[in-house]
Amino acid sequence: MFQHDAYILLLEGESILDFIDGLSTNHVAGQCSTIFTRANAKIIDVCEILPVGTNVAIIGYQPFKSDVINHLKPRILERAITIRDISPNNDVFVGPVPEELPDGSTRLNSFMGPMAIIPKKYEIQGSWDKAEWDEFRIVNMIPYHGAEITPNVHPYACGLEDLVHPNKGCYIGQEILTRMRSRGRQGKTLVRRSNPANNATTTGAHESLCIERTQ
Amino acid sequence: MDCGTCETTPTIELNVPDEVDVNLTMTDKATDMLSEAFGDDRSHALLVGVLSGGCSGYMYDLQIVESTETPCQELNIKGYRVLVPRASSHLLDGIEIDYVDRLMGGGFKISNPNASASCGCGESFA
Repeated sequence: MFQHDAYILLLEGESILDFIDGLSTNHVAGQCSTIFTRANAKIIDVCEILPVGTNVAIIGYQPFKSDVINHLKPRILERAITIRDISPNNDVFVGPVPEELPDGSTRLNSFMGPMAIIPKKYEIQGSWDKAEWDEFRIVNMIPYHGAEITPNVHPYACGLEDLVHPNKGCYIGQEILTRMRSRGRQGKTLVRRSNPANNATTTGAHESLCIERTQ
Repeated sequence: MDCGTCETTPTIELNVPDEVDVNLTMTDKATDMLSEAFGDDRSHALLVGVLSGGCSGYMYDLQIVESTETPCQELNIKGYRVLVPRASSHLLDGIEIDYVDRLMGGGFKISNPNASASCGCGESFA
């Protein structure tokens, strides 16, 4: 498994799933993956949503954390919601996760496949390096933050169309994504190419992931 | 997952904007519609709020309420009680409430000088 450069925000308060649902692309009614997008439908972050008792954890990519916080904070308004950053307490891993995890760990399915959240006190190390994780991603066509998932792409361009709910009502970026889908014009898509590949976003030993214009 | 405690992982500062004294106007058409809704009963109020969400990030929320637990500014507009949540006051200062009478897309409409963008249906703004 690969250690994901993750943050974990714990949201405490009332109707948090509704709050996240109103601001992201997927239908959020429980554990799921969803995407926060800007008005131009470009990605702010792709996150795992995990109910924890009466609270909800948002697990995303550390370099995008401040953008997500700045996206959420002004929209809390009169809702009694607080946010705590519990990233320093936990390590997050993706890829094949062992059957046995230390006490207090959490296992979930993310858009990247299995994910494990393990308390930092166990000092668990990832068994994969970045190159091994990249090879796994290329084979399984898994986009990753900083490579395929950047603030310059929309969800359809990086293979995340399954996280855009087709029938959901308004959220920021929805008008553009709905228009793209209804007109069948996604522009760019995530593809796997044999090496050497032009404009690769992730380069493996024999194959690469690329975001290419297909329409 | 280790969720920590309030002591070990304090809450993130939300930087709540300062409350402003809301200046709100209502067109005669909107007042006429409120008159139809309220009749002679002045015990109820029009709650003009903002919710997160919508195509542009915020959505207007109009309700007729008797009271609310949400801390509000109470205005008197042409004899009608209008409640504006304090936490949304910075987003609603200067708005004009109108009523558009048409079969499609009709109803109360809000013109907001604080909005940098709004969606096609007019219910959402940024």
